[in-house]
Amino acid sequence: MQTSELLNNYDVDAGTWDEMYKDSAVREQYRAVVDFMQQLSVEELNKKEELARGLFMTQGITFTVYSSGEGIEKIFPFDIIPRIITASEWSYIEEGIKQRLKALNLFLKDVYNEQFIIKDGVIPAEMIYSCPHYLREMYKFPVPYDIYVHIAGIDLIRNSDGSFYILEDNLRTPSGVSYMLENREITKRLFPDLLPKNNVRTVNEYPNILHKNLVSLSPRQIANPTIVVLTPGIYNSAYFEHTTLARMMGVELVEGRDLVVDNHRVYMKTTAGRQLVDVIYRRVDDDFLDPLIFNPNSMLGVAGIMSAYRKGNVAVVNALGNGVADDKAIYAYVPAMIKYYLNEDPLLRNVPTYQLSKPEEKELVFSNMNKMVIKKTNESGGYGMLMGHSASDEEIYNYKQEILKNPRQFIAQPIISLSSSPCYMNGKLVPRRVDLRPYALCGPNGVEIVPGGLTRVALKKGSLVVNSSQGGGSKDTWVLSV
Amino acid sequence: MFTKLSLVPTFKIHHVTRYQYEFPVRESANQILLFPIRDEYQQVAKQELSISGEPMVDIYKDFYGNEVGSFMNAEPHLELVIDTKTEVITTVRVLPSDDVPAEIQWEELKRVHTQFPFIDFLKQEQFNALDEVSEIVQSLESRLHTPLLAAKQLNEYVFRNFTYNKGITSVETTLDEIWKLKAGVCQDFAHLLLVMLKTIDIPARYVSGYICPHKNGMRGEGATHAWVEAYIPFYGWLGFDPTNNCIVDGVHVRLAVGRSFNDCSPVKGTYKGASSHTLDVGVSVAYEDGETSAEAPTLLVPQPVKVNNLSSNSYRRYMEMMQQQQ
Amino acid sequence: MLSRVADSLYWMSRYLERADGILRMLKINYASSQGDLQEFSWKPVLRLFTYMKEEEANTIAYDSRAVLQYMVTDKENPNSLVNIVTHARENARAVQDHITKEVWQCLNDYYHAVRDERLAHRLHKEDPISTLDVLIKQGLLYYGTADITMARGEGYAFINIGKYLERALQSADILDVKFSDAHFDFSKIHTTYWKYLLLSFSGYELYLKTYKSGFDAKNVVGQIVLNKDFPRSVIYSINRLSRYFERLENQGNKPGYETVEFLIGKLKSEISYTTVDMIEDAGLHNYLIKVKKELSEVANALNKNYFAYS
Repeated sequence: MQTSELLNNYDVDAGTWDEMYKDSAVREQYRAVVDFMQQLSVEELNKKEELARGLFMTQGITFTVYSSGEGIEKIFPFDIIPRIITASEWSYIEEGIKQRLKALNLFLKDVYNEQFIIKDGVIPAEMIYSCPHYLREMYKFPVPYDIYVHIAGIDLIRNSDGSFYILEDNLRTPSGVSYMLENREITKRLFPDLLPKNNVRTVNEYPNILHKNLVSLSPRQIANPTIVVLTPGIYNSAYFEHTTLARMMGVELVEGRDLVVDNHRVYMKTTAGRQLVDVIYRRVDDDFLDPLIFNPNSMLGVAGIMSAYRKGNVAVVNALGNGVADDKAIYAYVPAMIKYYLNEDPLLRNVPTYQLSKPEEKELVFSNMNKMVIKKTNESGGYGMLMGHSASDEEIYNYKQEILKNPRQFIAQPIISLSSSPCYMNGKLVPRRVDLRPYALCGPNGVEIVPGGLTRVALKKGSLVVNSSQGGGSKDTWVLSV
Repeated sequence: MFTKLSLVPTFKIHHVTRYQYEFPVRESANQILLFPIRDEYQQVAKQELSISGEPMVDIYKDFYGNEVGSFMNAEPHLELVIDTKTEVITTVRVLPSDDVPAEIQWEELKRVHTQFPFIDFLKQEQFNALDEVSEIVQSLESRLHTPLLAAKQLNEYVFRNFTYNKGITSVETTLDEIWKLKAGVCQDFAHLLLVMLKTIDIPARYVSGYICPHKNGMRGEGATHAWVEAYIPFYGWLGFDPTNNCIVDGVHVRLAVGRSFNDCSPVKGTYKGASSHTLDVGVSVAYEDGETSAEAPTLLVPQPVKVNNLSSNSYRRYMEMMQQQQ
Repeated sequence: MLSRVADSLYWMSRYLERADGILRMLKINYASSQGDLQEFSWKPVLRLFTYMKEEEANTIAYDSRAVLQYMVTDKENPNSLVNIVTHARENARAVQDHITKEVWQCLNDYYHAVRDERLAHRLHKEDPISTLDVLIKQGLLYYGTADITMARGEGYAFINIGKYLERALQSADILDVKFSDAHFDFSKIHTTYWKYLLLSFSGYELYLKTYKSGFDAKNVVGQIVLNKDFPRSVIYSINRLSRYFERLENQGNKPGYETVEFLIGKLKSEISYTTVDMIEDAGLHNYLIKVKKELSEVANALNKNYFAYS
């Protein structure tokens, strides 16, 4: 009875890969979870949903939305049904991301030094120099161990045949990892014993690996260097995450005003005077980091920090200028980069991408607007996006005018349908579209990826937009060990 | 090339920048571009740099090859004085022969326009009057000449049509404002010429430095000067000084080149503290060319400063905190 | 410890203490308004605990429910409970990694409780005492949680410094409320007020045991200013302030320590050698003003020597 109640509305959209169902049968990896859910009554499931919401609220895992001068605390909606990734799927993803990051790091080093890839004509110079995130200040700038991307969040989606595609690389200050960690803690509370029974790999190692990597970057070779997480402050929507990471690593959470640069060294201001800082994991954007060099009006950064960084007196994580590598127009060249730097074929595919700065591609896009998603090259979080299939004629017309003003700022991609995954809603499981953002950590000893990630889900039926700013939610993400 | 050695002058440049604060300020961080470029046209014989508080100055090369000094002063202070005494020997240039046919030269410019470093020096700044400026440039039919002559023509256009007038503009003045005022100082003249050269695809870069005339009478003395370098095909970068309507040759000393004033600002800094400041700048040049030598006192002249009280704007602080998330 | 962190912990604690003081003050005055023969005026409360202008205060001075709403749920009132608790939580949010998860969760619950939309209705229609008690309990929960879970380090010292500094100020203010209205004449205040005051500060029994002669304004002043065993007294708060400050002695910053230590020590010895008669001679209001001024000097010195960062 309950069985059919829970699953009888589960209608997978045609032409969509479903994470749970295959030919109307539950996939092996989901069987145990589905069985478990079916033992529970609707009341019990509702109670679990309520418990999850309560846990988020009490723990202050919220982001603040400001309207009419007043802050409203919202929780990032959480769906109680985990998204499950098999061991073999994971090892493929893991290899693919490692390969991609290796190439992206080499690209950043190259583009800020010798620029072989430009000289060899693989990427046009214009593409680089027109990118607003290409920081001339980083040219020939010594970066410890030649690592630019220490922390990356790589967004993956699944096409109708189930193959993984890279949607975008986030190489500046990717956020969301605290949700990966907290979602897992919530699952432990909601479903006792379910995790060990299913051989789910742990994500707990993330803060330890990050901390180990940060320690290894310390300019002072001492056992206990001073590491700080630099946050823009409590009004930042990811503030909760900054706190969580600082707490989990046992390091200080600082704001720009806590730091001062003197004699090319960074200090934090403590009740006992100044204390030298060795490593800064900053969650402040490039442009705001040093008001002396970048945005002079910034009150979030620390004047002179670039000088301390250049002299090697402090390590900054991630490096500055990474935006040139996750620019949506540069994205199209990543497969070529992998080939160029590593002489390998890319394991994970790119979504075909059209450059609107190229006249012939622009024509193609303009005559197929309803099949395209158009994005701004230097924006993230789902801002400034046009979904061609759901846009009105007027929206399309206006957007075209925008594009014509500055075509370099736009790219277009065919709409990829995204896989669906079961969500619990009003006593039923329903399919909703998901993506996946695993977090990769690069240290002197290579790339490590914690088995898991943030699964973002579009909670509206049929919606393909998963960003939290656009009404998305999240799920715990299980990677199975067998 | 060096036939008239006796005419190669040595300039002794004394440059003082002084900030004074009403109340003590702290945590200042500063950047200076006060180190003359060293190349075949310019040698630096000697340079003494002294800064109040005697901070350690770190010197590095930026993207455009300029030497940049950076230093801090974290402790409370009432004054910041930056003093340089520099001896520079300039070499008289061999000017472009300009004997390659115009169309081949324009063709060459077309070829390099997607190449490094020219991309950076061709990117046009957007402002409201850009179309109007382009039309004027078109009407001058500069493209019918060689790029060298075109650059000369535009240089003269700015000189003739704009009034040299100190104190009506500042580093904050926009292109639209300058265009409306039809007046300004060297910086504004240079800014305009940059834009005009770019409208006909001649790569152009901003230059900051000193002007060192043998006798008084040129505009831009007593402070840092600014002009433009245009890229002349099959020759290289050549300086045009729209404030003085001349091609740069021997009496200009270059400190820095870049896309705009922002890349070349001789002195810039930030500090913390609820205090307004005053800024005085003085530049004096003595020269020796084997025949004459002169010593001049360095007069400090008050400069306009922009009022920027950031700490009180909590809205902006909040907006910054909200920065976009990845 | 970061100066900003110390500052935030100190302010978090001050705000929470202030919230407690305001709630109890409201409780006393509300209870008293129900028992008074003549019409009860909230004017002194509004004068001391809000920034309201005289004319504005006049419009609600005799409307207990309106005052309660203004003091508890009104977001336009910068000193309302909802704003004070929000400030406390904002400060806590900025130092989440320096307080225990339990303390943070406790403040979150407090915050959600004061923002509960039903609160205004309850204050308006239901028994205000029960409603105030629910909020007071949220505060008590915080005290207990902080006491049991927080490590006894520098942060804990700053939390307590803030708490006792604020408490000393609150106690002085609460005395001042009633006396300023009665023109500082000890005899003019009805004894039921004292009873409510002592009851809501859990000091009633102590009073009965200490002063067997019934209600006398002088004794009430004695207990609230000078009784070393009464945890709400000014002297108790200053002794505690001094004790927690002394824990910072070996945390570096010797010159700063000496400056603040001198000011606290001076205040402590002054109050130790004061009698109720001396207070009466000086005039209670003047005396309280002097104490408050010296407490502000301590606060300023802390600011300058420990919290300066921006």
